[in-house]
This record gives sequence, C-alpha cells and structure tokens, in this order.
Amino acid sequence: MKSDLSPRMKVAVYGLMLVLLIPFVFPTWWMVTSSVKPISDIFAFPPEIIPSRFDFSTYRQAFELQPFAQQYWNSAYIAAIVTCGTLLFSAMAGYAFARIDFPFANALFMVLLVGLLIPSEVTIVPLFQIFLGWDMINTHWPLILVPVFGAPSVFATFVMRQFFIALPKELEEAARVDGLGRFKIFWTIALPLAKPALGAVAIFTFLHSWNLYLEPIVFLSSPEKFTLPQALTQFTDAYGGAMWNIQLAAATMTAIPVLIVFVIAQRQFVEGLAHTGLKG
Amino acid sequence: MAPVTFSNVQKSYGVHPVIHGVDIDIADGEFVVLVGPSGCGKSTLLRMLAGLETISDGDIVIDDTVVNDLEPKQRDIAMVFQNYALYPHMTVADNMGFSLHHRGASKTEIKERVDWAAGILGLDTYLERRPGQLSGGQRQRVAMGRAIVRDPKVFLFDEPLSNLDAKLRVVMRGEIKALHQKLKTTTIYVTHDQVEAMTMADKIVVLNGGRIEQIGSPLDLYDNPVNQFVAAFIGSPSMNFIEGHVEGANFVTGDAQLPAPTALPNGKPVVYGVRPEHFRLDPAGGIKAEVVVVEPMGSETQVTMQIAGQNVFGIFRERVSARPGEVLTLGVDQAHTHLFDAGSGLRLSAA
Repeated sequence: MKSDLSPRMKVAVYGLMLVLLIPFVFPTWWMVTSSVKPISDIFAFPPEIIPSRFDFSTYRQAFELQPFAQQYWNSAYIAAIVTCGTLLFSAMAGYAFARIDFPFANALFMVLLVGLLIPSEVTIVPLFQIFLGWDMINTHWPLILVPVFGAPSVFATFVMRQFFIALPKELEEAARVDGLGRFKIFWTIALPLAKPALGAVAIFTFLHSWNLYLEPIVFLSSPEKFTLPQALTQFTDAYGGAMWNIQLAAATMTAIPVLIVFVIAQRQFVEGLAHTGLKG
Repeated sequence: MAPVTFSNVQKSYGVHPVIHGVDIDIADGEFVVLVGPSGCGKSTLLRMLAGLETISDGDIVIDDTVVNDLEPKQRDIAMVFQNYALYPHMTVADNMGFSLHHRGASKTEIKERVDWAAGILGLDTYLERRPGQLSGGQRQRVAMGRAIVRDPKVFLFDEPLSNLDAKLRVVMRGEIKALHQKLKTTTIYVTHDQVEAMTMADKIVVLNGGRIEQIGSPLDLYDNPVNQFVAAFIGSPSMNFIEGHVEGANFVTGDAQLPAPTALPNGKPVVYGVRPEHFRLDPAGGIKAEVVVVEPMGSETQVTMQIAGQNVFGIFRERVSARPGEVLTLGVDQAHTHLFDAGSGLRLSAA
C-alpha cells in the first residue's frame, strides 16, 4: 500500500480490511475449532469462538466409524491421476490447436468448446448407462475417465491453447533451426515455458476432482470405494442425525491436501510468470 | 562456409505473389545485406533460405545442394532473430550449447565450443545467467553465440539490431562485422536500415515489392543507382530529386538551370538527382537557391533550400551564415549528378 495515507486513514483502511476478512476466515475457523469441541459445545449460546474444552478423539473416531484412510487414499490417487492425465492431454491438445495447421482446426476447437456448455447433470444418466455396459459401476474408472475426457479437460485445453498462442513463435523457429522436431520442441521448449498455465490447470483440476460429489454418489455404492466428499455425509448416528464434531474433524482433514496442492502449484505459477514475463 | 544461390525464387501466399523470381549469387564468405522498405520480401527470402517458409518456385542452393525441401536442421545454417528468441528457461551456456547437445555432442566438446564462443563475444562471466538477467546488447551477443558455436555453413541475421538503442546499434554493428572478418562465414543479413547495409555489406541487394531493384557493392549503389528508388533508398540524408526537362546540355526547372550529366533530346521530362554533399557554395556556379532553414552541426552545415520552388537539401563543409529568405549561389559537381526518366524512374545514360 502506498504510504501517502495519513496514519489515521491507514488504521481505518486496515480496520476495514480486517472486517472484510471475517466472512472468509470464519467458516474455516469454525470448522477447525468445532472439530475439537465436544458436540454439546458446538451449538452453545453464546457461541464459543475459542473452545474452552478440547476433545481430540473426534479425529480418531473419524477413522473408526468409516474406512476413512481408504477413502482418503481413493480421493488422493483419483485426483492425482486426473490431474496428471488432464495436464498431459490438455497441454498436447492445446499445443496442437495453437500451433499445428490441420484442416478444420478452428471448427473442431469450437465443437470441443461446446462440451463446456453441457451441464454434468444432463450427461450423468447416459454416462451411467455407458459405464454400466462397460461393467465399471462401483469402480473408480468413471471418476477418472469422465474428467480427463470431459468438461474440465476441455477448459484446460482452452487455457493451454491460449497460452501457447501467446508464446513467441520465434522460440520454436529457433529450435527448428537448432535441429529439433515438433515433439521435441513441444517437450523441451514449449512445455517448460508453460509452467504458469500448467500450474493454473493443476490447481483447478485437482480441486475439481477432489470436490467431485455428484459423480461419486451416482457411480459408487460401497463405503470402501467412496471418495471424501461422499464419505463426509456418512458421519451420522443411528438415527441419521449428523455427528457434527466428527464430521468437521473429517472435513478439516479433507481440506489439508487442497492447501498443500495450492501452495505447491502456486509457486510454480509465480515462478513461471517470472520466467516468461521477461521477454526473451 | 559455402556459396549460396537463389535462382528464380518465387513465393506466393494463395494467389498473392510476394516474391517475383529472385536471382542472387552469394560467394563463399561474402557478407550480403538484403535491404528494402517493410513488406519488400527481404525477411521472407531469408526465412525461405532458413527453411522456415516453403518455396513456391525456383531453387535455393547452399554449397551445391538444392535445399528447397530440406528441413532447417538439414541445411546447416544458423539464424539470429530480431527478438533474439533465446530460450528464457535456460542459462546462457545452455542456450548456446543447446543445438550441440541436441546433436549428441559430448559434454567436453559442448563446453569447449561454448567457452570459445563466449570468449569471442565477451560473455565469459555471464554463462550461468538466464537471458532475462541480461541487457539488450548482451542478449544479442548470446543470440550470436548460439549461432557461431555450431560453425554453420551460413549465418542468417533477421534485423538483429532493430530492438537496440541507437548507440548500442552502432557498437553491435561493428561487432558483427568484426565477427565476420574473424570467422569468414558466408553471412546474409536482413535490415531496413540503409546505414547498416552501407557500413556492413560486401554486397547489397536492394529489394522492393518482392523484386530486386539492384545488386552491388555499397559504394557502387551509392554512386551509380540504376533507378530513382535505389537512389532515394541508399544514402542518408537521401538524394535530392528535382523535376524538370532537358534543354541542350542543361537541365531546366522553372527559371533555374543545372548542368546535366548526359546529353538528351530537348524537352524530355526528367528528374534530376543530386546528393546533398555534391552542392558547393560557388559564386560562379550560377544556381540560385533561396534559404529556408540553416542547421549548423559544427563539422558541417545542413541547409534546406528552394530551387525554382522545389525543396532541396544541401550539406556544406563550410559554415553558412545565411538567413532564411537569402539567396545562395551554388554549383554542383556534374560527375555526381543523375538524370532519371520521369515516367519509369530509370536512370538515363547518354543518348
């Protein structure tokens, strides 16, 4: 912030920013603190911002009530495969659309983009029938195949294409003169320079897969196959009432990998920007 | 090192021809500059030679091999691009050694070649930096280093100095020329700047609208331009053109008479060409010129004048203290004047 503000104004501006911060920070704070409260304290009035009693057994119970470690692993490996697959396909497809002259390239790209306009709720029933025919219901295949070849990948392809279009052509021409073929140019020149775009694609693809809810509840039926968002809804007592503190403990654990991925990919994102921002 | 030949080279985009049958012979080790205004096809010709553009018709020959259908990597050329095109994610050393590495050279050989090139270009202390940490001139040197490590048959330069400031351009111009004198590799250099062309070239090719206007040594083009386009393009400040007609041994415009270099039929409409430095202050010269602006430069005086209502520009070694509106009496060195056909622009020689 520029320091031409008077001290009084500064205090006012920072104060305002702190107030605006509350709606963003409070839900997370409430989730984390409630996960270590006894269930009776969660709805106490007046609400306890800082817990007065701690009960860490909720974290243990999350693993006892369900195969939570298995579900954690399910979500993690599915998101990892989806992210890697999407990065690979979208980078190659985006590069092809940006750089290779082939017949009807633009028309084909438009057709591809139409995929973004169809809501997943519309395609879920036909997809169910297709995967039923392939004997893939209650397996993780639909959760991998649908995003990698569906709308998220289309969006990723769009992002990558726009990035490669903006990459100076001379870099590739220099590489051609240096003796590289098309694939090597893609692999050793274009892809390393695409780190910012790849970082962005990685963040949103991972998040999309990690948070996927509709597809798991349609395609999966046994708890050991569940992914985390689906598993979170299953922490209920014998009467179907939510076990809030355990559920929030599970939710807290669910949020951690997202934060980790964000921190890693964000650094790539910024580093990549720093490289390509300097005109070659 | 290799000779290069363009024979009847043509290029069209769809039905639009942009290069109309170009013939150029470039000797082994020659420094040739392709020069012309934007859109004249000079960069396209260079890119066709590099293999970055296809050839619609004709042949390009490098060292006795027709290269029309060869990939850039098979042509053994190295190119320096206008915006350098250095790989931003690699260090200077990696940029320079990239093509060698790709061709499977050993690490020691790459290091040897990169160190050799860095030594020639004064880049020894920058080898571990990234291109983004270098100044414009240093990046230009890295781009040249990347070209010379390969020891190619031909160097191609595509307007390499146009992103540099004026001062650095002069320095780099000298460096490129010195490099050529050291390596003696055939070099083809594209620029729109006629000063670069004049100062660097063994041979200049002047292009306009996809056609060659003239090929020759710098001073040959300067002294004997074949047409008005070349006369105007080569030389800075450019040649003065005065419209008029021939009468006996004189060129006549309005009430002024200038000595004509060649005898032509009376009354023929022509354009008289004379370079600014070929005017001289001469009370017996007989050419009356009204002063418009006087610009003293110290070493010389530049004067904008009017002869029979037409603006001309003169450069005098003497100091001229005339004021605007005053009339100077000038002479010209007849041997350095030209007559051009008023219609075609071609230079007219003695009838």
